[in-house]
Amino acid sequence: MKDFDLEKLERKNIYKVPENLFENIQGKVLSGLNDFDLEKLERKNIYTVPENLFENIQENVLNNVLPAKKAPVFKLNWGYAVAASLALIFGATFVFNNDNSKGTDSQATVASNNQEKKTESEIAYETLKSDLTSVENNNQTVVNQSDNKSFAKDEQNEGQETATKTVKPVSKKEETQVNEYLDSFSNSEITELASNSTQDVYLDLYN
Amino acid sequence: MKIKDTEIISLMQNPRTQEKGVRALMDAYQSRLYWHIRRIIVDGDLAQDTLQETFIKAYQNFHQFKNDSQLYTWLYRIATNEALQQVNKLKKMQKTDEDPEYYMQNLVADNTEGDAEEIQLLLQNAIQSLPEKQKLVFMMRYYDDLPYEEISKIVDMSVGTLKTNYHYAKQKIEEYIKENYER
Repeated sequence: MKDFDLEKLERKNIYKVPENLFENIQGKVLSGLNDFDLEKLERKNIYTVPENLFENIQENVLNNVLPAKKAPVFKLNWGYAVAASLALIFGATFVFNNDNSKGTDSQATVASNNQEKKTESEIAYETLKSDLTSVENNNQTVVNQSDNKSFAKDEQNEGQETATKTVKPVSKKEETQVNEYLDSFSNSEITELASNSTQDVYLDLYN
Repeated sequence: MKIKDTEIISLMQNPRTQEKGVRALMDAYQSRLYWHIRRIIVDGDLAQDTLQETFIKAYQNFHQFKNDSQLYTWLYRIATNEALQQVNKLKKMQKTDEDPEYYMQNLVADNTEGDAEEIQLLLQNAIQSLPEKQKLVFMMRYYDDLPYEEISKIVDMSVGTLKTNYHYAKQKIEEYIKENYER
C-alpha cells in the first residue's frame, strides 16, 4: 500500500441503517406529532385497580378510627340488659306470689327456728356458766379479777365484769347443790371421807 | 346525591355524627385522592395504604381544619405529604446503583393495564422523569384541574412559581413524548 491515495478511495457509508429510515422520519414529521398538544390528550387513568378497592379502604379506615366497632358490642349489652331486666321482673313477681300463698307457713317456720335458736343459745350459756364456775372453784374470785384492771383494756374489763356478774348466781346454786349432796351423807360417812383426805397445808396460809 | 362540604364538616365536628361524617368524607373524596396518590406513588398496594393513612389523619386532626380553606385543599395537602413520605421511603430502600427514573418507569410498566395506549404510557413515564415539584404541580393542574391558588396552599409555593413550573413540566413532557413515540 505504498502508493495509497485517499483521494482515489471510494466515498462509502459503512454503518448499518434501519429499513425505511427516511420514510419513517418523513412520516413522523408529517403526521402532526410535531404539533402534538398535551392539552388535547384524553385524561385517563391507566393503572390497574383491585376489586372492591374503596370498600376495603373504607372498612380499614373505619376499623382504625372508630374502635367504636364497639357499636355492635354496645347493642349486645343492651340486649343483655333487657333480658336481665325481664328475668328480674318475672323472677320477683314469681317469688312475691309464692310468698303471699305460703306466708303463714313460713312465719310458723321462722317462729320454730327462733325457738330452736333460743335453745342453742341457752346451751351455750350453760356451757359458759359451767366454765366460769370451774374458774371460781379455783379461788379466782371476782375481787381477784378486778385487780387485773390496770393490765387490761377497758373493753376487756367490761366483758370480764359482765362475766363475773353472771358467775355469782351460778356459784350460789352450785353451793346449794353441794350442800344438798353433803347432807345426803351420814355422819359416819363424812368422818370416813375426812380421814381418807389429806390436809392441804397451803390452804391455811391463804385462809 | 352529592353531599356538600359544609354538611361533611358539620357532621365531622359533632362527636355523635362523626362516623357518618367520615363515611361521607370518604365517599366524596376517595376517588380523587386515590388517583392523586397513585400517580405519585404508582404502586397499587402502597397507594391504598397511603389513602387509608390520609383518611385516618384527616379524622384524627379534623379539629385543626379551619373553615377558611376548602376541605379538598386540606385533604390534598395531607394526601400529598403522605405520598411524598412513601416515595422518600422507597428511594431510601432503593439500590444505590439503580437509576430512579428507570426504577419508576419499570413500576409504571408493571402497574399499567395491558390495553393501555402507548401515548398514555409515555405520558406517565414522562411525568415520572420530572423533578418532584414540577411533577406535583403538573398532576394537580392537568388531571384534577385545581386552581393555582389552591395548589399554592397545598404545596406551599407562590402562584407565579407554580405557573412557571407547570409551563416547564408541560414542555418537557411534550418533548419526551415526541422523542419516544413510535408509530
